[in-house]
Amino acid sequence: MKYAFYPGCVARGATPELYTSTIAVCEKLGIELETTSMEAASCTGSGVLQEKNQRLGDTLNARNLALGERAELPIMTICSTCQGVMGQAEKRLEDADYRASVNEDLAEEGLQYKGNPGPRHLLWILLEDYGLEKLKAQFIRPLTGLKIAPFYGCYLVRPEDALAFEDNPDRKNSLEIIIEAVGAEVADFPGKTACCGFPILTINQTNSMKMVSNHTLAAKREGATAMVTPCPLCHLNLDGYQPTASKQVGQPIDLPILHLPQLLGLALGIEPEVLRLNKHIVETDKVLSAMALTP
Amino acid sequence: MDVALNVRRFDPEAERPESYYQEFALEVDETATVLDGLIQVREEVDGTLAVRCSCRSAICGSCAMKVNGKGVLGCTTKFIDVMGPDGAAVTVEPAGNMGLIKDLVVEFDAHWDKIKAIEPWLKPSGPAPEAEYLTSDQDMLHLAGVMGCIQSGVCTSECTVLEIDENFLGPAALAKAYRFVADPRDDADVDRLGQLNRYGGIWDCTRCMKCVEACPKDVDPMGRIMAMRELAMVAGYTDNNGASHANAFYDIVKRNGLLNEFWLIMKTFGMFNIPEMLKLAPIGIKAFFRGKMPPITFDKIPEPKSVTRIFEKVEGRNK
Amino acid sequence: MRAALSAAQNGVDVAVVSKVYPVRSHSNAAQGGINAAMADRGDKWEDHAFDTIKGSDYLADQDAVEVMAQEAGAEIIGMEHMGAAFNRGEDGRLGVRNFGGQRDARTFFIADFTGQALLHVLHEQVLKSGVRVYEEWFVTTLVMDDGRCTGAVAMDMRTGELHYMRAKAVIMASGGLGRVFEPSTNALICTGDGIAQAYQAGAGVMDMEMVQYHPTTLKNNGALMSEAARGDGAYLLNSEGERFMERYAPNMMELASRDVVSRAEQTEINEGRSIDGCVLLDARHLGEKFISERLGQIRQLGIDFAGKDLATEPVPIRPGMHYIMGGIKTNVDGLTNIPGLYAAGETACVSVHGGNRLGANSLLDTLVFGRRSGVHASEWVKSQPAAGGDASVEGTENARLQAILDRKDGELFGPVRTALGKTMDKNLAVYRDQAGMEAAWADLLELRKRFEGVVVHDKGRIFNTNLIFTLELGFMLDCAETIIAGALERKESRGAHTRTDIPGRNDAEWLKHIVVTKAPEGQDTPNIEYVPVTITQWEPQERKY
Repeated sequence: MKYAFYPGCVARGATPELYTSTIAVCEKLGIELETTSMEAASCTGSGVLQEKNQRLGDTLNARNLALGERAELPIMTICSTCQGVMGQAEKRLEDADYRASVNEDLAEEGLQYKGNPGPRHLLWILLEDYGLEKLKAQFIRPLTGLKIAPFYGCYLVRPEDALAFEDNPDRKNSLEIIIEAVGAEVADFPGKTACCGFPILTINQTNSMKMVSNHTLAAKREGATAMVTPCPLCHLNLDGYQPTASKQVGQPIDLPILHLPQLLGLALGIEPEVLRLNKHIVETDKVLSAMALTP
Repeated sequence: MDVALNVRRFDPEAERPESYYQEFALEVDETATVLDGLIQVREEVDGTLAVRCSCRSAICGSCAMKVNGKGVLGCTTKFIDVMGPDGAAVTVEPAGNMGLIKDLVVEFDAHWDKIKAIEPWLKPSGPAPEAEYLTSDQDMLHLAGVMGCIQSGVCTSECTVLEIDENFLGPAALAKAYRFVADPRDDADVDRLGQLNRYGGIWDCTRCMKCVEACPKDVDPMGRIMAMRELAMVAGYTDNNGASHANAFYDIVKRNGLLNEFWLIMKTFGMFNIPEMLKLAPIGIKAFFRGKMPPITFDKIPEPKSVTRIFEKVEGRNK
Repeated sequence: MRAALSAAQNGVDVAVVSKVYPVRSHSNAAQGGINAAMADRGDKWEDHAFDTIKGSDYLADQDAVEVMAQEAGAEIIGMEHMGAAFNRGEDGRLGVRNFGGQRDARTFFIADFTGQALLHVLHEQVLKSGVRVYEEWFVTTLVMDDGRCTGAVAMDMRTGELHYMRAKAVIMASGGLGRVFEPSTNALICTGDGIAQAYQAGAGVMDMEMVQYHPTTLKNNGALMSEAARGDGAYLLNSEGERFMERYAPNMMELASRDVVSRAEQTEINEGRSIDGCVLLDARHLGEKFISERLGQIRQLGIDFAGKDLATEPVPIRPGMHYIMGGIKTNVDGLTNIPGLYAAGETACVSVHGGNRLGANSLLDTLVFGRRSGVHASEWVKSQPAAGGDASVEGTENARLQAILDRKDGELFGPVRTALGKTMDKNLAVYRDQAGMEAAWADLLELRKRFEGVVVHDKGRIFNTNLIFTLELGFMLDCAETIIAGALERKESRGAHTRTDIPGRNDAEWLKHIVVTKAPEGQDTPNIEYVPVTITQWEPQERKY
């Protein structure tokens, strides 16, 4: 199982713990990550570039997809937003005329997007390529007794037709499947597929923080020990800005937010330091002590 | 076939009005919709059930409601699609983000107020021509997409920003605003965009796509909001955080191919924006000590020029 | 709304009262388009007028048709100036499509939701004008004072409170009465309220026997599949794959007058050349791109409610009750026989549609006569003293409603309405006969008795839809009375009124309208009067398509 690894911008920037834990987990699972072919890939635009010029976003993503094609490898993403944005571009590029026109701009670099299937998130790859049973067999340290709240991130659940949900119905509750697979209980709460508020952080911080506090507190009401998210942008808001949100709502929150590979890594027996669990804004000690691990 | 409805009821005239759930067991046709079921209840079983509905064919926009937690039109939601394999009861609740009047009937006033707030009428400049204005079929077809809105309020019900901030104009009003901005016969676009450039307008959308998914007429409200953001920036409305954020993002990726969050924040707020910098300082410091601070020197892809070239090519065409 | 705008423009204080938010009105269901003969496109209003008159089977009043045909162009341009986004041709000018019963293409359209689009544009203009709209206010009765209409009593549905809305003039534009029939293409709100209220107030209602059965409705829920499909080239096939209209209307084929097509379909169905009681609408040859651009809405209806994609398979359809050509009798300015009472749109009968309405003439009717009644009414009120009338009507109405609420034990309105709808659809449909219509009358008397005992579960006042539906049922029974009375009276076949026992048109004796007025106390059946048809240019001829 070999994939062209597309980590996205934030995994190498403000959430480096996501990058390192992904590498560690894939190594443990025997998933080969080819890191050079996507080195030349650009940012997907994150929906923000698309605001300024959708065609520009589509061209950049066609280029990213073409790089994967050139490497003759399927692309793996570790960010809901990368997945969603590239998936939406891929959908628009299904139109042969549009694709041909966009390819004209890639020609100078000797690249061409032929229309092959685009990237898939690690979360999906585990269920679809790796296999749930095979995965479960690798978990040596189940998170028994812990309740984990899933937070998908908008781009991983909407719009359904750009995420191929019809052909892959398990994607809809993939995160919950994984939570149960690692031995934990799902803390189901309204808002698990809602918005974390990251896109409006710089525009309306009050609203953004309301979303953070609403969802984290709702998860806590369901007894969640921690929350897991497959999107580093959501992580930035839910973890990075949790203290700010807590201050605004006037209530303590203290809900650890885990990246997906960190959740997997814990169950696979990888050391917490390797997973950089000590590098969060909101302390993750609760999770570790619940697992009888030294924080 | 046998179906069960679990309807959230509310009687404002009860001694102690409070919401409660009531189940109804019905026998319906294979192709029956949830609305068919509700109508059957009120016509034959319990006349007190209040639900707005009229056309039963997704054109009047009356029957917005939540079925199994999701905002839909009752008349296009078939029982077989929402029943689940074990024929479990289908939960029906009033539309969200709107005050409750009775049972499934909600307060639509705020929704209408926002529609009125965007001045939803054509504003041509100068006297009207003798015959029709000349426009292209393409322009009119483009309008037909957003004009398909039947004011159902399903988007209003699902909007994650309206959930926490009632001052947001919301997807329906913003989509309606786009209908005029995109109309070649309307000459007030620049003004309209200026109005929408304020708090509660186009920049307050959190891009969660719930309205896109919920809309029963494929109006794509979020897409229209994004289109207006682009138009607003082109029209020169760039002195707000939303625009400077988009512009900063653009500049950074154009130059380096990748994003750098540190510089993105700096450029969005402006390095000399002392109040904002002071607000961000505690977070920045904490992040720095956890090793989460992106490098101050820009992260680049190996050949950033390939990306810069694409920017120039695509943007160059727009001019 | 069109009337309110022209009244407001004329400087009078006008308010709109609607039992639903204005954009929920059933005009939004009109799909195909709106007709106009534009002189600058080489079209002649006389041609449009003749097509309309022939379509009406010569029952339309030709002076009224002339007015409508002459003003059509200006109305459409007026709507376009307000922002209506009509389809365009290559030259940027308004585009047209073909429609039933017309020899030339003069139907202007907005994709396949022309009605919705025009309704929303009017609403936008109403918002701009600042005209007050009493939304979700349900009118229970008109108020009369000394032979004059002085307003109406309406219930604010939010609180249940009744209010006497005193007005110097009332324009009734409450739409049709589809729910008197089951099934029908009409929305649940189409219960003939205005027609019944005017009838109760003493106005004459005319041509009520003329009920249009639309050729292409879905079997499942009676939903309408726009004539636009046939206008754009779709075929009608029977179970043998034959384009059977060849045998009934060899020239116009699928685009013959609606009554002709409905009769043809019904005959095919009655003679066994149907599939599950339906014939087929086939548009596959038009191609997917065309269908998604021009017929997107009805394609979705076919998928949602019949499980068939118009782009790739034929959709089963059959005739379904759709429109009432008849209504409150008015002159060309919307004035009824009661001073201060006007009517426009489907509620009214001028008559421009006579025995059968052409597609895309209804939206035109509402705009032209909406405008005219707004103008005439607003002009008239300027010279009138304040409306009198006693505020005690509120108390009287309240007591009447409370008496209904106080009833214990009985059936809900639902089964009574369904029974009404079924007997009307059985006996007053495409083909009628004496025995059937008499049976319907007998059923009606039975249903009136049942109605007296209908109970209302909801004893509250806030948003009491249970009470409202019960009141609407009363209106529907009144409407049914006028329909059956008119149908029994007309002893010929004309337009939509086809009697198997008296086939053939009889101009010598029946070139006249039947006007029904409420029976005085003690009389069993309503009063019937005749009014001659106004002929200007076009002598009645044999009607062939």
